Amino acid sequence: MERSLKKYFPLFVLPTSVAFVIAFLAPFVIGLYLSFADFTTIVDAEFIGLENYQKALGEKDGFIASFGFTILVVVASVITVNLFAFAIAKLLTQKLAGTNAFRTIFFMPNLIGGIVLGYTWQSIINAILAQYGTTIVSKWEYGFVGLIVLINWQQVGYMMVIYIAGLQNVPPELTEAAAIDGAGRWQVLRNVTIPMIMPTITICLFLTLSGSFKLFDQNLALTNGAPLRKTEMVALNIFNTMFGRVGTEGVGQAKAVIFVIVVVVIALLQLNMTRSREVEA
Amino acid sequence: MQNAKRVVALLAAATLATGSLVACGNDSGSSEGDAKGKVYFLNWKPESEETYKAIAKEYTEATGVEVKVQTAASGTYEQTLKSEVTKSSAPTLFQINGPVGLKSWQAYAADLSDAAFTKDLTDPGLALKGEDGKVYGVPLAVEGYGIIYNNAIMEKYFATAGAKATSMDEINGFDKLKEVADDMQAKKAELGIDGVFASTSLATGEGWRWQTHLMNLPVHFEYADDNVTDKDVITFKYNNEYKNLFDLYLTDSTVEKTLTPSKTVTDSMAEFATGKAAMVQNGNWAWSQIKDVEGNTVQEADIKFLPMYGGFPGEDKMGIAVGTEAFMAVNAKASEADQKATIDFVNWLFSDEKGKQHVTEELGFIAPFKSFGEAAPSDPLAKEIARYLSSDLTPVPWDFTTFPSQAFKDNLEQLLAQYASGNVSWDELVKSVNETWASEKAAVNG
Amino acid sequence: MSQPSVKRNPAGVVATYILLLALTAVFLGPILFIVLNSFKQKFAISSNPFAVPLGDMWAGVSNYVTGLSRQGFLGAIGWSFFITITSVAVIVFLCAMLAYYITRVKRWWTSLIYYLLVFSMVIPFQMVMFPTVKLADMLGLANPLGMVVLYLGFGAGLSTFIFSGFVKSIPVEVEEAAYMDGCSPVQSYFQIVWPILKPVSITVAILNAMWIWNDYLLPYLVIGLSTEYKTIPVVVQQFVGSNGNRDMGAMMAMLVLAIIPIIVFYMFAQKHIIEGVVAGSVKG
Repeated sequence: MERSLKKYFPLFVLPTSVAFVIAFLAPFVIGLYLSFADFTTIVDAEFIGLENYQKALGEKDGFIASFGFTILVVVASVITVNLFAFAIAKLLTQKLAGTNAFRTIFFMPNLIGGIVLGYTWQSIINAILAQYGTTIVSKWEYGFVGLIVLINWQQVGYMMVIYIAGLQNVPPELTEAAAIDGAGRWQVLRNVTIPMIMPTITICLFLTLSGSFKLFDQNLALTNGAPLRKTEMVALNIFNTMFGRVGTEGVGQAKAVIFVIVVVVIALLQLNMTRSREVEA
Repeated sequence: MQNAKRVVALLAAATLATGSLVACGNDSGSSEGDAKGKVYFLNWKPESEETYKAIAKEYTEATGVEVKVQTAASGTYEQTLKSEVTKSSAPTLFQINGPVGLKSWQAYAADLSDAAFTKDLTDPGLALKGEDGKVYGVPLAVEGYGIIYNNAIMEKYFATAGAKATSMDEINGFDKLKEVADDMQAKKAELGIDGVFASTSLATGEGWRWQTHLMNLPVHFEYADDNVTDKDVITFKYNNEYKNLFDLYLTDSTVEKTLTPSKTVTDSMAEFATGKAAMVQNGNWAWSQIKDVEGNTVQEADIKFLPMYGGFPGEDKMGIAVGTEAFMAVNAKASEADQKATIDFVNWLFSDEKGKQHVTEELGFIAPFKSFGEAAPSDPLAKEIARYLSSDLTPVPWDFTTFPSQAFKDNLEQLLAQYASGNVSWDELVKSVNETWASEKAAVNG
Repeated sequence: MSQPSVKRNPAGVVATYILLLALTAVFLGPILFIVLNSFKQKFAISSNPFAVPLGDMWAGVSNYVTGLSRQGFLGAIGWSFFITITSVAVIVFLCAMLAYYITRVKRWWTSLIYYLLVFSMVIPFQMVMFPTVKLADMLGLANPLGMVVLYLGFGAGLSTFIFSGFVKSIPVEVEEAAYMDGCSPVQSYFQIVWPILKPVSITVAILNAMWIWNDYLLPYLVIGLSTEYKTIPVVVQQFVGSNGNRDMGAMMAMLVLAIIPIIVFYMFAQKHIIEGVVAGSVKG
């Protein structure tokens, strides 16, 4: 059967593979090459060695600074999103009436796209700050807090849904047994519930991590890096380098390669963590 | 066998699906070879967008040639042009902002030396020439900017007790301007205004009146002192004069200066049009924005220009800033037919009676072409430019076409917003301006 | 789910509900904010952002009229629907087949395809952004159908990954029995496997639909501004981002119009969406 299925390669495999090669694989390989080249379109590339990388990591460029800001956003959002999402999930798994309706509402913001979301929050935050005679682009701290609020609003519902699924899989007998043994609520949470949903926590941590690490649309719409590129995240920095002006396309591509390396390292770490956790559990 | 047939049918369906995509791609490719050619104009003035679209529609109806108009978001023209220009359906007509722009876009700029509209220029020196002496850009319009004021409010002020001046003629330098503005600000309730100057728009992409137009003055005077037309490094020696005027805009304003980073040009022009502010720095293109605001109270006859006094040397003899910035360029990499269609469209716009009417009346351009003769826009700001040009005041040229890059201007805009918010000191601003000027010049010059 | 437990402290229950209602306000507030302001006169939006649009501030539907008339917003709604629906259908149909094939046919190159697909899920778009856009343009894909091809390419990773995880759990014996009975592999796929894949297809469809509907960068870069094929996020960014002429009223109306289709979709497919997200995340 495997053998006769094999003949149907053109039907089963070819269409998607062709699209995959056009959209991803070929561009990935070309992109790697372009990061060592000087070019304005993909047909006029000239090999120039590591020059793009040197420029990318140069201090003036703001790439390193954008990494710093991104890390700040990632740390703050991973912590807050997961805390809120877990807390709300906990509230909604207490077998209260109407929890489904609440779950539906809390999840909704997740469906709204980054651009629309960014402008929605920009107008709200500016309306609030205007009462105090200032605006979101006056200080980078405002943009930072705005971004964290926005990310929370968007992602808490999503993570909450996953946490709820995790919590519902914790056998009630376990927590009840612990409670009968005299464990307080906090102890039950710490010693029974959390260890039981560790795989879920890992998934959520990773999802929020990769989501905020690669954040682009929201960043573009909310502050577009203002003031003075202090709220520019990595993805936006790369985009601006590639399309913001003529002559720095190669530097942008080199930055993208560096970004890829960092992202892959994080992904491998996560894979490792998930595996070891699963063994423990 | 039965099965084989089915597979063939399925495969055929699958290839048909992909085949039709390819065919679709080819379609758009082959229509480009259409003998008529097409025009795709990437416009950079959001305020003229609707007018251009109407003109395009009319032209298409008259000639059957497709004219597409797209507008780049404010401050993102270079970025948009860049992502559009390498596409197969690239803009055929785009704009270059002077010699610096030409450096970036040289490869895409067609030689326009022989185009009819180039030969029709009133002054051949206005054309943007490359290093080889050929013409690559032709200006659309001569424009002017300065401080626009509402004469009705000024007259009202001159009539108040203890007014610091009795007529606009007395205001011929920064000290007098400041004295009057400060006094007007103090009497704002009496004058029925929220502030003398409309809000200083410093939202992202909205600061071009300050990072380009106001910045032109100190740079111009610095060039003039050294008798040069460009510099790789500036000292920004007239930064205090810049600060004088900028601070005046911020303090004698309709809004708290900390709010300026949320203000847009539209807000600013609306305040002026509704009589909430007496003055606003802008150019003649702003007429449409003043005219079209709902609740507009300012009278056409009351709209005048005042030169931008900041304490610059010899400014009592200084007029408003007049020049050309947007040079039309035709995409050299577009097909022959498209290039020809584009040149024909521009010729039509600037020589056909209907086209000319659109240019002067709707776009409000003072077109630098012989065919226009005396035809000039009838709006008050265009008339003011003519008045200044015929006076003995020396107009300030537009030296900002030599500013290093959009990145330089963006940086200045953000610095100004930070300065207005109180987060950056003036000295830091000056230092950063000088640094980015030098580094951006170095980057652009390769 | 809805049975209150007996031992519960009533005060605690009340407190929980108050907390939940407060959270509801937080989650719905921003949407309410833009809806209210979309009916407000544009200057009242900056002067009175939190007021209910009554009296002078009431603008009726004028903001919607302006918003819809600008920049081809109506067309964008159509193209967003077309691109999303077509791409999702193509992705689900073709990726399920690919997943089936590479799971059932064990060869070094099928594993290679699998790992390349998984790899593509991790890579940020910025890496391939520039070459993809140029390549797509050279191949004549800068149009809605071309977008479908690109979305298939980008969506293949996650979709095939989810499908193949599911295919692995289908016992191969059923298909083999069908094969013995004279079914071709294609027949046995469509008659036996495809129906079993239905629930997971919904998951894949929803995850892709949410992503494609909201995607900004790919359509912006590939289709760009030059064509009439702009999608909603592209038009919103072009309009709202074009500060020079910003009309806050029309902006609010556009934001509301951009959100409405999503909310309608959500109301009808709420259960599937939430389940899809859970399933997708656990696999991903």
